[in-house]
Amino acid sequence: MVDVLLSDAEKTFIIHGIQDNLRDDGRGCEDYRHMEIETDVVSSTSGSAKVRLANTEILVGVKAELGEPSSGKPDKGRLEFFVDCSANATPEFEGRGGEDLALEISNMLTRAYDCPKCLDLGKLCVIKGQQCWVLYVDILLLECGGNLFDAASVAVKAALYNTCIPTVTVSQDEGHVDIELSDDPFDVQHLDVTSAPCIVTLSKIGHSHVVDASQKEEACCLARLMMGVTEKGTVTALKKEGSGSLDPSSVEEMMETGKRVGQALNKSLMEVLCLEEQKGKKKEKTGFLR
Amino acid sequence: MLTNKIFLKKTKKGGVMKIVREHYLRDDITCGTEICAFCNQKSPCLQENPSSRSGLVTTSHYLLPDTNVVLHQIDVLEDSSIQNVIILQTVLDEVRHRSAPAHRRLKDMISNPDKHFYSFCNEFNKDTYIERLRGEKSNDRNDRAIRQAAKWYADHLKKCDGNLKVVLLTNDADNKSKAKDMGLEAYTIYEYVKSLKDAGLLMDRLSVPDTGLAVEDNRVQFPEHLPLLEIQRGIKSGKYLQGTFQASRENYMEANVSVHNDDRMIFIQGHMNLNRAVQDDVVAIEMLKECDWGCPSSLVMEETEEKPDDADIEGEDLKLKRNKVPKEQRQPSARVVGIIKRNWRQYCGILQQSALKEATRHLFVPAEKRIPKIRIETRQANVLAGQRIVVAIDSWPKNSRYPHGHFVRMLGNVGDRETENEVLLLEHDVPHNNFSDSVLSFLPKMPWIITEEDMKRRRDLRHLYICSVDPPGCTDIDDALHYRELENGNIEVGVHIADVSHFIRPGNALDKEAANRGTTVYLVDMRIDMVPDLLSSNLCSLRSNVERFAFSVLWEMNHDAEIIKTEFTKSIINSKASLTYAEAQMRIDDKGKNDPLTLGLRGLNRLAKILKRKRTENGALTLASPEIRFHIDSETHDPIDVQSKQLLETNSMVEEFMLLANISTAQKIYEEFPNCAVLRRHPSPPPSNFDPLLKAALSKGFSITVSSGKELADSLDKAVLPEDQYFNTMLRIMATRCMMQAVYFCSGTISESEFFHYGLASEIYTHFTSPIRRYSDILVHRLLAVSIGADASYPELLDKYKTQSVCNNLNYRHKMAQYAGRASVNLQTHLFFKKRVIDEEGYVLFVRKNALQILIPRYGLEATLYLNTDRRKQGPTFEFDEEKNVQRCGVVTFHVFDRVIVQLSIDRSNIQHLKLKLELVKPEVPGFSVPKASQRDVNLDEPPTKKVKT
Repeated sequence: MVDVLLSDAEKTFIIHGIQDNLRDDGRGCEDYRHMEIETDVVSSTSGSAKVRLANTEILVGVKAELGEPSSGKPDKGRLEFFVDCSANATPEFEGRGGEDLALEISNMLTRAYDCPKCLDLGKLCVIKGQQCWVLYVDILLLECGGNLFDAASVAVKAALYNTCIPTVTVSQDEGHVDIELSDDPFDVQHLDVTSAPCIVTLSKIGHSHVVDASQKEEACCLARLMMGVTEKGTVTALKKEGSGSLDPSSVEEMMETGKRVGQALNKSLMEVLCLEEQKGKKKEKTGFLR
Repeated sequence: MLTNKIFLKKTKKGGVMKIVREHYLRDDITCGTEICAFCNQKSPCLQENPSSRSGLVTTSHYLLPDTNVVLHQIDVLEDSSIQNVIILQTVLDEVRHRSAPAHRRLKDMISNPDKHFYSFCNEFNKDTYIERLRGEKSNDRNDRAIRQAAKWYADHLKKCDGNLKVVLLTNDADNKSKAKDMGLEAYTIYEYVKSLKDAGLLMDRLSVPDTGLAVEDNRVQFPEHLPLLEIQRGIKSGKYLQGTFQASRENYMEANVSVHNDDRMIFIQGHMNLNRAVQDDVVAIEMLKECDWGCPSSLVMEETEEKPDDADIEGEDLKLKRNKVPKEQRQPSARVVGIIKRNWRQYCGILQQSALKEATRHLFVPAEKRIPKIRIETRQANVLAGQRIVVAIDSWPKNSRYPHGHFVRMLGNVGDRETENEVLLLEHDVPHNNFSDSVLSFLPKMPWIITEEDMKRRRDLRHLYICSVDPPGCTDIDDALHYRELENGNIEVGVHIADVSHFIRPGNALDKEAANRGTTVYLVDMRIDMVPDLLSSNLCSLRSNVERFAFSVLWEMNHDAEIIKTEFTKSIINSKASLTYAEAQMRIDDKGKNDPLTLGLRGLNRLAKILKRKRTENGALTLASPEIRFHIDSETHDPIDVQSKQLLETNSMVEEFMLLANISTAQKIYEEFPNCAVLRRHPSPPPSNFDPLLKAALSKGFSITVSSGKELADSLDKAVLPEDQYFNTMLRIMATRCMMQAVYFCSGTISESEFFHYGLASEIYTHFTSPIRRYSDILVHRLLAVSIGADASYPELLDKYKTQSVCNNLNYRHKMAQYAGRASVNLQTHLFFKKRVIDEEGYVLFVRKNALQILIPRYGLEATLYLNTDRRKQGPTFEFDEEKNVQRCGVVTFHVFDRVIVQLSIDRSNIQHLKLKLELVKPEVPGFSVPKASQRDVNLDEPPTKKVKT
């Protein structure tokens, strides 16, 4: 993780504040920072989204390609996550510096989405055992401002919501299968992402825990719990990180908070996405690629 | 202003790609009208006050056709009375995608300033660009774009002047009504053309809409064609095969399909199996079961009388098949299941008038025998009768026996020399328009002088005794020779070729035109130049006593014609004499003449004989084809006599040195450019090609070995019948027919082992010596010039794929030029016999089931003598013995090579379509043969028939 250097006094200030449900930037323990979401920002992808969480900026592009399904799940499509840490984000990412973090994030996302109920991958199957849509989700870290996991998961969900998969018709003739592509660019299918998970990271700071830790708070934190949470509060993945240990009772406590926050996060995210889609072409484009 | 164009594309591998293109919209695209004061334009193309000839729209207006109108009614648009037309970019793009020939013609019209066609970039204009809506088909979107542009024009013109209008031409009812709703004037092309004053001819040129309702009787005759999707799937799975359809010249109910990526020829027989395929179409075929396989009936059949549309084609098919074909004769047969690509073009021919006087539907008989008759609708059959006309096919519905077409234009009277030549050129796809201004603009400015600069770069060979030897009357002299004894005892021989590549620079309009024409085409009474006259007959032509640029090959040889040194150089020469073959021969033979020029010719002649001997020993073939010259009356331009071409020693002398120059050049350019040299190869024919030759020779007791060129040449030399001098020539003629076509190719595209030139027995060969009349030679000149550092290279020259595609065009043009030349000889032969009935000696070349193919050496003519025809009811019948390949009638038997006397005349039974008729005189077959012409007393101006030396 990206670190900032803090003195002991600063750390104590932050820890004490959190005990009183008052964080150094004025938030409560369960509050997220300001988030901006824009979808359909890269026209060459099947779906894309840009998320800005305070200073964290993440761009996600989804590319739908035809490929072979995995042998274990012949009737399902696939999701492939790939994270790229740009050296623009922080000098530490230079060279191969970002690779470990990138792998961590993509693994966590893979785990969070590896739950049959959160995304209907069966819809992505074209020909059972032969052809399916593979969604390559490319996550690009543009700027680091803490809480990368949560921001990445929100951006992924938004990008998947925005993804258009071209309609194909399969015609079978004497064992020979032919895939025809619809020539209408509007003839596309959307994914149902209502129950896709968001990652909520809970950082144990002192005796309390906070969501959406800033970089300073991250420096004070010894143990973190990352949870994939769906809109219904189902926990799809759980991971503990950090050098410190957690008491079972506080794990339970943190999970409760995580579920509650995750549900709220999912709900407001979907609301925002629906709102944006309704605007259609009329929406004001603010993305940097315009 | 920027928008993106986004579309999905399926890749070859089966993946799906999303492609995004930026699309910038502008506000400065002009409307192109003279009247407009708003658009800032230089030379508007649409006239200020176009006159209206239409009864529908009486005020002046511009036409705005939609895509389908342009695609299908391009013949109408080409008419000179249709002017002031706006062609939208949407339309232009769609036409380009759907039909390359139509697009080319449309571009020609737009570039013709007299037509006042304006192409408006509506897709880039911010006011006329529209985006595709959700759920809208791309065609609908384009229609909407066209309406949008029409609306824009209407408003724009209203702003300029209230009177000018825009008329949308569309045949789509939906489009038309939507346009009307928008307040636009819209008509179908039929309504519009009908409303024109004196629409008569133009009405005929309207293409018939393919409504399927044209024929009252909806009985299905032909099997339905499969949809393209199903065909593609079938081809992938191997159920169907894809190939090019080639109709038989001899029998209109038979055809072959050459399967792509395969050497096989698949046989197709009967209307139902042919299933409306037309010559050159790309078709999908399905193989028949082996028990249904047929074999060519070896009947020579021509379609004669008109049959009703719903004629019983199945019955005709059955008649053809009759009995089961014995197993050993069966050929792989198939039936056409669908058409992948129509390759219809415009066809020349004549109208076969309907028996009914007032009828508007007539049959059109194409000049090309492989094209079926076409049904056209015209109200002026009387005008068109006796004319050569051009017709295009529109459609071939499954319930019609004949394809439907429409009249395009009139060429002239049947039998007129100009008309017939025009037909010839059109049918053989020979570009014969006058050179355009842009082409002519690249010609050197006259008077042309040689500058100091030129002198510095070229070797001065003006002092040498150079002369040219050509046929009489030749004005495009592209080669000249010289011979000089050197001080060291060796000989210097020079071949000087016109330096055409100096005048034709790569990539300009002149070069492109020449590359497209590929070759000069020689007709009997006409020459269609590859390059403009100024070059071909003047600046490039190596005429005597003028200074000309040349590309010279100089050899140092010893007295045994062995090359010691070869040198290539650009030069300036001054030919001392332009001789004909006969003049040169006379100089050589005249012992009294001993001037340097004559001595040179003698020296060349001596060397040429050695070269020829060496070449023959190597296995070069001497083949024969009957060649003749017409003597043409200088005033009437009618042929008055025919003469076989005489071959003199000097012919062979020039030929030997040209071959040598070509081979030397080939070696040089291949060495220098192993990947992109333009070469010429002549593949050795597959042994099966020789079957007819072997069979025929065996019937006279000779065995011909064909395992190599050398052996073939030797065994041909041995096959001589002392009592029949022409026998050997006939064998050589037959051998010629067994050969493959020699072709140009680019050396990087095939392996070196295939470079061989079979006929000349040379490892490597190219064409270097006739750049005035062959484009291949120009390419070779350029390569050679680069390799000796005399000229600069350019990218296309070194791109083997581009070179190969140029070569493919050259091969095609060459083949067509050859056919056109032959057809021209045929035409002259017809003209010649128009006034004559002549008995002539002929030889049986092939024996067919119902006919004999007769070769008449004196006229270099091959014609068919029909034996059993349906029309000749009485008289003796001939029996065909397939095994022995003979025809018998009573005591008379016809073998291959038999000498016969035939009577030649013109069959006048069909005034429009004169045919050469053959009748048997000797041997006499009672009831079949006819008396001698002299006894029939038919003509007065018959030339004396001499025995012909062969």
